[in-house]
Amino acid sequence: MKERRVIAGLVLFATVLFALVPVIRRGAELPTAQHHFVHALMLAGAALSGILFAGRTRGGRRGAVWLVIATLVPALAMLLMWPSKYAYFETHPYGHLTEHLALVVLGFLAGFGGERYAAGIGWAAGIGIFAMGMLAIGGYGVVRSVPNTIGIAAAPTSRANIGGLPNQTRGAALFAQNCAVCHGTVGVGGEGPSLKNERSRKSLVQAEAWIQNPAPPMPKLYPGTLSLRDVADVAGYVETLR
Amino acid sequence: MTSTHVSEQNAGLRVMWTYIATGLAIFVLMLLVGIVTRASQAGWLPLDPGSFYSLLSLHGVGMIVAMAISGLGVLWYLARREMELDESIAFIAYGFFLAGTVCVIVSAIPGRYGSLWTMLYPLPFVGTYWPSWATGTWLIGNALVMLGFMLWCGQMLGALLARYGGVRGMLAVDYVLRNRDFTQSGKKPPPPQMFAAAITAFDGFITGTVGLVIGTALIVHWMDPSVALDPLWAKNLTYLFGHSFANLTMYMAVAGIYVGLPLCTKREYHTSPPLVVAWWGTLLFVIIAYFHHLYMDFVQMQWMQFVGEIASYLAAIPVVVVTVYGGVMLVHRSGMRWSLGAMFLYAGMIGWVVGGIAAVLDATIPANVDLHNTLWVPGHFHTYLLEGVLLFILGWVFVNLEQRAQAASGLLTRWLIGVGMFGGGALFLLGFYLAGAFGVPRRYAVEPAPGPFFASLATMGALIFLAGFVICGAEAWRLARLPKRQAVG
Repeated sequence: MKERRVIAGLVLFATVLFALVPVIRRGAELPTAQHHFVHALMLAGAALSGILFAGRTRGGRRGAVWLVIATLVPALAMLLMWPSKYAYFETHPYGHLTEHLALVVLGFLAGFGGERYAAGIGWAAGIGIFAMGMLAIGGYGVVRSVPNTIGIAAAPTSRANIGGLPNQTRGAALFAQNCAVCHGTVGVGGEGPSLKNERSRKSLVQAEAWIQNPAPPMPKLYPGTLSLRDVADVAGYVETLR
Repeated sequence: MTSTHVSEQNAGLRVMWTYIATGLAIFVLMLLVGIVTRASQAGWLPLDPGSFYSLLSLHGVGMIVAMAISGLGVLWYLARREMELDESIAFIAYGFFLAGTVCVIVSAIPGRYGSLWTMLYPLPFVGTYWPSWATGTWLIGNALVMLGFMLWCGQMLGALLARYGGVRGMLAVDYVLRNRDFTQSGKKPPPPQMFAAAITAFDGFITGTVGLVIGTALIVHWMDPSVALDPLWAKNLTYLFGHSFANLTMYMAVAGIYVGLPLCTKREYHTSPPLVVAWWGTLLFVIIAYFHHLYMDFVQMQWMQFVGEIASYLAAIPVVVVTVYGGVMLVHRSGMRWSLGAMFLYAGMIGWVVGGIAAVLDATIPANVDLHNTLWVPGHFHTYLLEGVLLFILGWVFVNLEQRAQAASGLLTRWLIGVGMFGGGALFLLGFYLAGAFGVPRRYAVEPAPGPFFASLATMGALIFLAGFVICGAEAWRLARLPKRQAVG
């Protein structure tokens, strides 16, 4: 039992060390797919230590709450692996570290909770949470290069290239310079249609695709007047109009 | 019988009847929604395409969830007779199912979400005529159902591993591979219904995990459209989870045959090596059988298409053949009285075979090219669910009610229900199959000719089915109100 706990402690220690990488690398960012792989390894290490810490469950199952925890935490881990170029957490090394430590806690809880509930369930939850991380590599924020058969598919790819979230303040300024003549100062409409509640008609991706390739009489300002970054920011601003 | 045993049995029955009653209530609601969509295709009702797609989306998810909740209730009760299961987890999972179903209904009715149950990326987000919140509510609703299912599977898996001493015992590996040693040692393999429980729990856990990956990814994309997903990856995961979940509803309900038919025939349904091996086939192949939904996706790797064809055969054929053969042998010369419970269970096996053959045809690559985008496919899964899963559940319900009251239904009632539910059901299904054979496309709000003609046939069949189902409900109510004469199971 003691040896088991020592091994569990070592595995957890190694996992936490692994989670410290963003602080050591000081913000040098990995491509999304590799980042998911790193997350999957952390989740696996944390889950394994959780299983080992939980020990063998004797005398049947121990409380529904452990099963509920083991079931819910993988979904939370997937949310934390939100791959929007890691805008919220990962632009700052300590924010990134916090996210990694949270993933370690969730992985640990999956393994520990499952194994506390019933022998074998920790392994199922641990393998499950690792598999989720690995599956994410295939397409969660990762888009393979495919022929653009429908126009809108170009937008996500190009957004992935520019990275980050739209800067709506900058978008508002660009809108005032280039779009307000037809659409009104705050998008109330004029010569062009009103853009109020555009969010209910077009998603951000669709709005970007439209600005890049508009139908006449709307002028095509990309790539001449507006850059890819400008398009993203204007679309981000338009999505806020109410 | 001790007081503890009685209270344990009551707890089991409480869970079972709560699940079945909720599942059948959702079923009735979704049946009405389905009839409205089919009547609209027949030109009987003026329904705009937007409303049509919203109702079709609701009908698709609602029916699968209805069948799953009912099947999980039956299976939970049958498994609990063999091992310890916690009532509180069953009710927590039930809460997730209920919350998820409410979200789906809210999303489709006031929200008008209309991207169908498959919610294939990027369709829920592109060219939408519904507000963004409806997409989010839909996705969250599906995720809640999946979390409930994961909880159910986690509990079942934990109990099975504890009861049979690990995966080897749970899947009766020694019973098949070392049969002589196993039987000489005086051990017994798990009863047949426990294989249904094991496959549902094991594959359900995998299915649920995949469902949570794609579900979370879609929710994240909804909140932050800059997170792009790979469409082929998304389609693979969506079908791995969706197709497998829909398939598992059958395996949940099949447990009713293994216990219900023996109650009718007074014979035992034994576990045999062929039965175990057949269930192994389902265990291994049901989660990759979905490849047949991607035959026309030219970017999918080619080897996966061939594997998909073989997996589709191996997941379904062995277990259908062995189970149905065993069921027929059980009934043969047993002198079984054809009560409603027995009728439903037996007819359910026929529905399973017919729906299975139609599925195998669709999974065969040369036929798939002609059939997959036609109404043939809805024909197959409506047979599977309406004349298979539903009948197994109703069979189990009636076997319980009849045994409990030591009473049976009159001849006229049985005929009325039979004509309504089997006759009406057959007409309804023919409307799909014939339209499919004539190449009428599926998922069209307005169908080209001869679609509306077959939609009219199908609508008439569905209305006759509904009439039979109403009589069936009234008969169940009558039997349930009779005084209890015998404990069941």
